[in-house]
Amino acid sequence: MNMLLVTELLRWWYTAGWRGRAKRIANQLDATIDYFSMDLLAKTLFAPFRQISAGKVDGPLEVKLRAMLDKLFSRVIGAVIRTILLVVGVVAIAFQVLIGGLILLGWGLVPLLPVVGLILTVKGPAL
Amino acid sequence: MHSTFYKYDSVRSAKARLGARLTKSLRLVLLLVAAVLITLGVLAITSHLTLGWFIVTLAALPVMIYEWYHGELEHPPVTTNSIDGLLDGDILGRLSANPTPKELAAAAASVNGGRFFAVRFGITANFLNDITTDKPEDTEAIWQHALEVRSQTSSEHISGAVLAVAMLQSFPDYESLLAHMHLELDDLLAGVRWYEHLRLLVNKTKEPRRTGGIARDFSFGYIPLLKHFGINLSDQVGGGITVEIVSHVKAVDQLIDTFGSGGRQNAALVGEAGAGKSTIVRAFAEKLLDAKAKIPSNLKFRQVFLLDSASLIAAAPGRGELEGLIMQVLGEAYSAKNIIICLDNAQLFFEEGVGSVDLTNVLLPILEAGNLRVILTMDEQRLLQIGQRNPSLVNALNRINVAPANREETIAVMQDQLIFTEYQRKVTYMYQSLAEAYRLSERYVHDLAMPGRALKLLENAASYGENGLITGNSIQQTIEQTMDIKVGVASGEDEREKLLNLEDLIHKRMINQTRAVQVVSDALRRARAGVRNENRPIGTFLFLGPTGVGKTELSKALADVYFGGEDRMIRLDLNEYVRDEDVARLIADGADDPTSLTAQAMKQPFSVVLLDEIEKAHPKVLTTLLQLLDEGILRDI
Repeated sequence: MNMLLVTELLRWWYTAGWRGRAKRIANQLDATIDYFSMDLLAKTLFAPFRQISAGKVDGPLEVKLRAMLDKLFSRVIGAVIRTILLVVGVVAIAFQVLIGGLILLGWGLVPLLPVVGLILTVKGPAL
Repeated sequence: MHSTFYKYDSVRSAKARLGARLTKSLRLVLLLVAAVLITLGVLAITSHLTLGWFIVTLAALPVMIYEWYHGELEHPPVTTNSIDGLLDGDILGRLSANPTPKELAAAAASVNGGRFFAVRFGITANFLNDITTDKPEDTEAIWQHALEVRSQTSSEHISGAVLAVAMLQSFPDYESLLAHMHLELDDLLAGVRWYEHLRLLVNKTKEPRRTGGIARDFSFGYIPLLKHFGINLSDQVGGGITVEIVSHVKAVDQLIDTFGSGGRQNAALVGEAGAGKSTIVRAFAEKLLDAKAKIPSNLKFRQVFLLDSASLIAAAPGRGELEGLIMQVLGEAYSAKNIIICLDNAQLFFEEGVGSVDLTNVLLPILEAGNLRVILTMDEQRLLQIGQRNPSLVNALNRINVAPANREETIAVMQDQLIFTEYQRKVTYMYQSLAEAYRLSERYVHDLAMPGRALKLLENAASYGENGLITGNSIQQTIEQTMDIKVGVASGEDEREKLLNLEDLIHKRMINQTRAVQVVSDALRRARAGVRNENRPIGTFLFLGPTGVGKTELSKALADVYFGGEDRMIRLDLNEYVRDEDVARLIADGADDPTSLTAQAMKQPFSVVLLDEIEKAHPKVLTTLLQLLDEGILRDI
């Protein structure tokens, strides 16, 4: 590789290459958000779970009250399950953000590694 | 403004050459070197050698080159409007400083676009080599044509496909060459667009799909009955390949409008069989499951279920049971809140018959109320019949017409759909086969509308390819083998001999009438040489003469000698058609009257039609036959 190509490699590495890596990390994050249905979970947090006891009930007051309680129970169950999944999702996303951040940071340092290695070889201690 | 200037020393050219040098094996070596450096470095560090740090960090270099290849060198983005800025990286990396047309031909033929043209059009590396020169000064003309083709086809790059067409256009007598291959320049441009379309399609399939995730259906009800008696179309989508022809996109948008707004939640897709109604429903189902699609939120992640009428009828044989079962299934769909029911061939649910049952009493109130989302697909004729019996049903439906596709749309559908057939049947279709499938199916396949009828013929042709390659000839053979009609140009030795000696063969059966025999034989030879008018009968002859001179015998001899037997003759004695009401009998629906001319011609299209004693026919009968004799068209009633 001549100097022109080396310069081009470095130019690409710190512009389109870095952007491309960031885009890939964003896509992976997007996939995780979709996998855990984060926006849907947040929007439907208190919706009856699987439409259980969700229908309208006509009849005496006692029947209506019982239906209302059933529906409330279904909503509570739904909220609990969704909250658990939301928490798991948030943890997974936070972990991914952390790893993605480190990768992006590391990306910027990669071209400098041989120089760092040389310094460590000259000055640094062996294990 | 684009320039035909080609700069060998440009940065993009240098990158493309490096990309071309980094072959798959070399890229693997890069990774191996990185792995070895890291291993050696770690071993050195653990052995208290500080040099190990440098060795480990050196692994960054091969890794960087590897990343660079996939990020930029593999497909260098378009930079300037010069040739080196627009050429596909694969080609650019193979060119010398002063490329000759032959060098261009070799480079174009070795990349995907060029290979595509070799397979789909028969424009191979050897062909391109033969039509190009080795004079560098001729390259300029190719660049000029390439820029024009790129612009005409809206291609991103000057790909191998664009270059192949440009090289052909630069050949002085390219139109004759194309005519020899049964092609025109427009076909080649369509080929470039096809290649670009497939390239984009492949890129699209690489994009991840967002379909809602694991909690998508938490807010929707369980549907055990529906799962048993229906087919979830939404489960079957996800290939990412849906054909986007204008009429279908419009119908999908109409479905979204209908179900996204507050009106009656039903839609009837009305069109001929084969027009693409089921495809539209599948495209609609796919769009609903796409988290990125711009659709109303009340339609997002809704699922389309196809009701299986056969399993419903089988599960509820008793009187009244079926109505009960249907109500349960539809009730479940309504309660689940995310179901759109599809009644494919909806006439099966609105009329009594084999495999169908009249559920109008159950379904009409549901359709009129418009709360449960229902899609019906139906043939227009059947809708008219049902509407005649029950006008309120038709009034309750939001009708969406699905018109048959035109030639351009049909070719586009075939181009996308044949990918699946090619994969399943291990065959390859040439472009000429698509054009021929459209032409011949339009003429000979009548039970389906476009694009279904062309697709059907194309699929059938998979069994008639030569070494897995389906050409225009294969399509003709398919028609000849499956429908027993000769459509191609005479090619077999036997047939050629027969045509050349037709007069002698006929005269073995009858003597004299030399003139009549010669005229008939000439007409057949013209037709089989491919110089006939496709929109007229092969020949229409009026044999005049007293009884016993051989008028009928000549027809029989012709049927026997050329059409394969005396039974290959449809004989109508027109003295049986002397009243004006006999016209109806002549063109009666083939399904009702097997003796009508239309029925016999449909059953045995490759035959001689003998209209005996024509002078005795009623004038109205003759008027009807006039259209048949002139244009070869006769429609049943």
